[in-house]
Amino acid sequence: MSRVWLPLTALFLFLAESSYADLFSGEHFHSSRIFVPHFLFIFIVFLTIFGSTKSGIIYGLVFGFLFDVVYTEILGIYAFLFAFLALVVSRVMKMVHSNMLSAALVSILAVAVLEILVYEANSLIHFTDISFNEFASLRLLPTLLLNAAAVIILAFPIKFVIDRSKVVD
Amino acid sequence: MPQFFLNKRLIVLLVSIIILVALIGFSVRDREKLSWPEQFLKDTTGFIQNIFDKPVQLTAGFFENVKDLENTYQENKRLKTRLDEYVDLKTKVQDLEKENTELRDVLGKKESLRDFSPIQATVIARNPDMWHEKVIINRGKIHGVKKNMAVITAKGLVGKIKTVTQFTSTVQLLSSMDPKNRISVGIYSEKTPIYGFIEGFDQKERLLMMKKIPYDVKIKKGSEVVTSGLGGVFPKGLPVGKVEKVESDQYGLTQVAYIKPEAVMYDLNHLMVVKRTITTVDPTESGGGDL
Repeated sequence: MSRVWLPLTALFLFLAESSYADLFSGEHFHSSRIFVPHFLFIFIVFLTIFGSTKSGIIYGLVFGFLFDVVYTEILGIYAFLFAFLALVVSRVMKMVHSNMLSAALVSILAVAVLEILVYEANSLIHFTDISFNEFASLRLLPTLLLNAAAVIILAFPIKFVIDRSKVVD
Repeated sequence: MPQFFLNKRLIVLLVSIIILVALIGFSVRDREKLSWPEQFLKDTTGFIQNIFDKPVQLTAGFFENVKDLENTYQENKRLKTRLDEYVDLKTKVQDLEKENTELRDVLGKKESLRDFSPIQATVIARNPDMWHEKVIINRGKIHGVKKNMAVITAKGLVGKIKTVTQFTSTVQLLSSMDPKNRISVGIYSEKTPIYGFIEGFDQKERLLMMKKIPYDVKIKKGSEVVTSGLGGVFPKGLPVGKVEKVESDQYGLTQVAYIKPEAVMYDLNHLMVVKRTITTVDPTESGGGDL
């Protein structure tokens, strides 16, 4: 039974992101700041750190692709970035001692890199025309704030699930 | 150099970047319909989202109800004063409607650009990455939804159908920055109607941009902007928003009006997909508006 919990958690976070966007986009809307939830990506980073690199990359590819198909309809961006950043995170963690604090910091850093890369990709295909400074103040900082809060709340439950399901390399 | 190419990881990375670029190129172009694996994935997740969404909406609805209770008294007072105006307006509208149908009968003109039949739908998901402002609704091909149909709330236009699968469809909101988004609209409050296109969204000020307005017309601030029905897909008279400010465009040949959307683009729950009863034109063939 322990095998199903990992994908189920990922699926739950995948759906929770969209519900969050649906319910709470209103309050943020008045201030024109945009808070983007990246719960699923936080899970993938934690899986890479506390589980294995391989599983992190596979989950990144599968759920990133699902994200692309269902939500953005621009195929490939999230599938590639989730998997690529999982690889980068695993390289970074070889230099850092892995504990809860370093994992939390690395995951917030990874969210920042993800947001910047997605912004670059979108401005490349002309889906946005805001400048980097506007992007940083309207999206990046609020998003980091939200996801820092999400890491604080989700870190221990996620680690619990990963430890229970005994991911092996 | 040979060492560089022998590095297996690097080759994998390069190949995956090539696949990435190919996939993006494949999906950015204006697709008539989604490929079947995409449709299958969207329908399956749509089914799960439909189930997942119910308890979420129930809890959210409960908290909203509690919040609403707080200012019930104030609202009630205000609404009572509006009720008298409403009765007055209603009789006037009935009169006008009757006259309109009579005049139409005299002319022998049965169909109007205004007529449409709505399909009720519920929002089951919203794109969490808010670059592409999209929501997913629980009505699809089998319910009669087609690509490019207008989507409205009780207040006004919110977007149009971007893609359709069997049981769900994706709505692209007006607030999304799609260079291909174009809606034919008009301002009818003046003596001669002013026509233009909704093209693009100012992401910083959160206002819609109405472009291609002739340079010599004067537009009053606060004028109502509605769809014109001339684009060939949307019916006429769906409210879009109010003019906030008017500027001349970068070449000075036309004007740009900034429009505050009438319908709020957040907290979307119940939407209506609008099916125009008069014949629609295929926008890809005619090269018209409402794309």
